[in-house]
Amino acid sequence: MNSFIAFIMGPMVWISAIIFVGGLLFKGISIIQSVRQKEPYIFSYMTVKHSLRSMGAWLVPFFPKSTRLRPVYYAISYLFHILLFVVPLFLASHIVLINEAFQVSWPALNDGLADWLTLLVIAALIFFAVRRQMVPEITYLTSAIDYLLILLVLLPFVTGFLAYHQWFAYRWMVVAHVLSGELMLIIIPFSRFSHMLTAPLTRAYMGSEFGNVRHARDW
Amino acid sequence: MKPWKRKFIHRGNKMKKWTICAVVLGLLSAAGWVVVFAQEDQYLERLDSWAFESPRRPGAVFSHDDHIMDLDDDCSICHHVYEEGELVPGESSEDYYCSDCHSLKVSPDNKMPLEAAYHNLCRDCHFDRGKGPVLCGECHIKE
Ligand code: HEC
Ligand code: HEC
Ligand code: HEC
Ligand code: HEC
Repeated sequence: MNSFIAFIMGPMVWISAIIFVGGLLFKGISIIQSVRQKEPYIFSYMTVKHSLRSMGAWLVPFFPKSTRLRPVYYAISYLFHILLFVVPLFLASHIVLINEAFQVSWPALNDGLADWLTLLVIAALIFFAVRRQMVPEITYLTSAIDYLLILLVLLPFVTGFLAYHQWFAYRWMVVAHVLSGELMLIIIPFSRFSHMLTAPLTRAYMGSEFGNVRHARDW
Repeated sequence: MKPWKRKFIHRGNKMKKWTICAVVLGLLSAAGWVVVFAQEDQYLERLDSWAFESPRRPGAVFSHDDHIMDLDDDCSICHHVYEEGELVPGESSEDYYCSDCHSLKVSPDNKMPLEAAYHNLCRDCHFDRGKGPVLCGECHIKE
């Protein structure tokens, strides 16, 4: 059992990190390549300035008009995306592990606060799932894979929460936590989660098309 | 079309209600399970975290006696002595605390900060021997 844990907390972390980074790189390169083949003129009006301006505008809460149309959904979604990164990256236990592996360290969230933020992430994910059931326009666009992907994000947070509290089956909870986290990293490039790469690309394209060609705003 | 890509267009309202009920029931029973099976108090021999400025974890569970039996009475495995960066075999330092030599932060005299010293010593041996705790909560058991 200890050697299995050594594997999933050692080599398997590297394998999933490489698939995650490599997969996103591959995806980015193939997107740029297909644009170059099919619509190369897009590059003629892409500018860094308009791209960054659009990304910046969309990062300001409630600044883009469409985000004001569904304020509740947008607020939850905005907060969720921040916490999705902040909670794991600034979790004390993760920093301990990273520090021992690479001798680098940064300030950690207080454990009690991280505990509550984890519950917020879980609540947001349940909200996303229920919303898919309740709003007819969205139910119409929803397939089983959408729920599976929500479950995939839910798992590392739920198992991490339960493991931290050491309520039951501690060893299995941590194993499930580590494996589901790795699975999530591996799936990102091959699923809708790749919007962590394509969303900024979309902003760059839209920002340039609107800003540089139509001389309009895209927010 | 692949089944998992099929849209849920024909799903009636009844189905929706049942799904939501099932989810809520599932969550409630999970919470109930947790409360019922929450650990009872038990006494455990622990290390003292006094050397850390503001401890964030319960002191690690550690029984001297169990380990000494398992390790053939060799105190120097843990209470080691180094001279000019070389381990001195057979000599032991049980009159010192780990924190006497391993400061909290890396410094010129100490390449191994205290927390990492404990973790590397304890956890690595458990990994090497395939026995003993290796996960945070197996040593830092909740009080
Ligand atoms: C598996 C590792 C390990 C082994 C083997 C071991 N010790 Fe320890 N010992 C520790 C740790 C950890 C502490 C706590 C040190 C600290 O607080 O800085 C400790 C503390 C002590 C102390 C300090 C008094 C106390 O209990 O607080 C004495 C004395 C001691 N050990 C003697 C021994 C002797 C004698 C042996 C060999 C028969 C031995 N130890 C073997 C890990 C070990
Ligand atoms: C008398 C001083 C002294 C005491 C007491 C001491 N150490 Fe060390 N320890 C050292 C030195 C010196 C090194 C070598 C550091 C280096 O790599 O330069 C070292 C290295 C280590 C290493 C790294 C070993 C390796 O193989 O790289 C670990 C882990 C460690 N100590 C843990 C402990 C623990 C836990 C205790 C308490 C039980 C302890 N030490 C007590 C002086 C001490
Ligand atoms: C040189 C090897 C070695 C070192 C160093 C070591 N351990 Fe262990 N430890 C073992 C072995 C072997 C077992 C398994 C005993 C068994 O299951 O029979 C064990 C078991 C344990 C257990 C479970 C005890 C039980 O009764 O199930 C705890 C807790 C533990 N170690 C804590 C520590 C801590 C804390 C340290 C560091 C201060 C430490 N160990 C250092 C070898 C080591
Ligand atoms: C093999 C046993 C063992 C494991 C596994 C282990 N620790 Fe520790 N840890 C110790 C010992 C021993 C100490 C030093 C004595 C103490 O404070 O209990 C320590 C100290 C610490 C400290 C510094 C003292 C404090 O309370 O702030 C932190 C933080 C910590 N551990 C976090 C973790 C985290 C996070 C994990 C999992 C990634 C982990 N530990 C896994 C044994 C362990």
